[in-house]
Amino acid sequence: MTLILQTIVDGLVLGGLYSLAAIGFSLIFGVMNVVNLSHGIIVLIGSYLSYILWRTLGIDPLLSIPLVMVALFGFGYVYQRGLIQLAVDRSSLLASMLVTFGVALMLRNVLVLIFSPDFKSITPSWAFNFFVIGPITVDLVRISALAASLVLLCLLALVLGYTHMGRVIRATAQQDLAARLCGVNARHVYGLTFGVSAAFAGASGAILGIVLPFSPPDEAHWTINAFVVVTLGGVGSPSGALIGGLLLGLISTATSQAIGPAFPNAMMFLILVIMLLVRPAGLLGNAFSGSR
Amino acid sequence: MSAAGMMMAGGTLPGMLAQGIAAHRGWIALALAALVLLALAPLYLSPFHVRVAQLFLLSAALAIAWSLLGGFAGYWSFGHTAFIGLGAFVAGLVETGWTWPSPALAFAVGLLAGALACALLAGLIAYPILRLRGIYFAIAMLGVAQVLGELNNSIDAFKGTMGIVLPQLAPRAVEPATFYYYLLLVAAAVTLAIGFAVKVSRLGYGLLSIREDEDTARMLGVPTERYKIQTFVLSAVLTGVLGIIYAHSLGFITAGSVYRTDFSLNMIVYALLGGMGTLIGPVIGAGIMVVLTQIVLGRLLDTHMFITGALLVILVMLAPRGIVGFVKPILARWRGGFR
Repeated sequence: MTLILQTIVDGLVLGGLYSLAAIGFSLIFGVMNVVNLSHGIIVLIGSYLSYILWRTLGIDPLLSIPLVMVALFGFGYVYQRGLIQLAVDRSSLLASMLVTFGVALMLRNVLVLIFSPDFKSITPSWAFNFFVIGPITVDLVRISALAASLVLLCLLALVLGYTHMGRVIRATAQQDLAARLCGVNARHVYGLTFGVSAAFAGASGAILGIVLPFSPPDEAHWTINAFVVVTLGGVGSPSGALIGGLLLGLISTATSQAIGPAFPNAMMFLILVIMLLVRPAGLLGNAFSGSR
Repeated sequence: MSAAGMMMAGGTLPGMLAQGIAAHRGWIALALAALVLLALAPLYLSPFHVRVAQLFLLSAALAIAWSLLGGFAGYWSFGHTAFIGLGAFVAGLVETGWTWPSPALAFAVGLLAGALACALLAGLIAYPILRLRGIYFAIAMLGVAQVLGELNNSIDAFKGTMGIVLPQLAPRAVEPATFYYYLLLVAAAVTLAIGFAVKVSRLGYGLLSIREDEDTARMLGVPTERYKIQTFVLSAVLTGVLGIIYAHSLGFITAGSVYRTDFSLNMIVYALLGGMGTLIGPVIGAGIMVVLTQIVLGRLLDTHMFITGALLVILVMLAPRGIVGFVKPILARWRGGFR
């Protein structure tokens, strides 16, 4: 019983992180149908930025989140307007996927050259505190990671739901032609969406840095996780990402607990393929047209 | 003749093949000339360059096999390495699991078993997975490859972690590199011939119509479902056979060395670089990329990944329809000028 409870708690903590890491991917996919294979590397850039701020200036990783988000928002906007949009215009959506893959390779190489391929981790002074609730142990690091993830997801839901920018993004996602007819500058909105996506990916990277050690080749893992989360939960909404992420966290901790530590990935993909076949719109079923 | 005209002329396979051969005489002559040149290559190339040429043949053949579905029908698989790995491991397990009188017989049985396994897997997943389109199909295939690779790696009976030592096929008198070079040359030529047969047959035109507009094609009576499944199985078997030969040329395989995401990706890159939906495209693309990565970039290990990524970006931006799509209009204008 204790084991099951502990597995659930661990799964939820991991899941919160997955949700936050996936939401940006989900937004881009939902708004412009671009599969951003460089998403994972943006998550890691967030981790490394927060690592630099912590090592050189001693800024606490949780406090560095806003700084990381601002920097990566700018990066995302420029990246979309400068490269992705051009690729989509000149070629096809599938080919734009190759462009994002190429960028991921380049950035990964750059990260390896700057930071070496060794694992890094961020350990603020409070990193080793933990508390005990009944039979379950929870580290302070993990619980603060979960809390930060949930706060940021709520923030994004509010931004999307109630601000002008959010409304414009949602309108463009639903019907970009109609949105443009109403005077929306669709390209600017695409840029904004990419910026928001990169900002939240970076934030999740900063949080990930205090929970898990990270190294540049991890990026593929985070991209694929984002894809699974989106397929599980449904595209383009924070609630979908939250449900997908929590499910994925639970599935992977439960699989490694019950079957063996080598199997979470296989199980994850099995579920991904089954979900694609059975219910391609995700559990929350935000319909997206292209799948069949 | 237009595609529709071909469909109407739509005779039997031999009829369409004869027509196709007549229409592509120039290309076939070129291919035969290239074949002769490649067959003589080991006589004048250094051992290192024979290895590079071997890699080129493998890459080109894999890209053609991928193109049958990806290029002609527009179904981009991101997980074709599943068939390389499955073929290699089934062949390896069959060849080492029993004692065979001669390595050649072992190889023949292994080849058959591996190809059969690929056909079986492809046939099994074809119907559900080909209902997905575009990015969803691509990702589902990526998932299939990952699941297969992980299972192969973590279940001890499949020896994915321990690895399999494959029997040596090359006779004593022949240098193994040269032997596998010729084996791959034969495999590549067969793959190209099959690709050609698909391209000029009814199936090929059906696949093109699926790429252009699947729903309309279906409405007009093209058996899209059957064509897609047939092509998927064919592509899987060809990929599997190439994977088996590749595995033997390595001599020792682990799950990590045959289930490689970069294989899946390279097939796409070669086809895209050369020109999607053509047969010469994958060959040109493989040639350029292999020469670039093996010879030009061989010394830049630190920045290898960066340059590959940059090439990928530049390629999609500058020549979105590949080198064939880039050169064709120029050639046409050039010819027009002389008329």
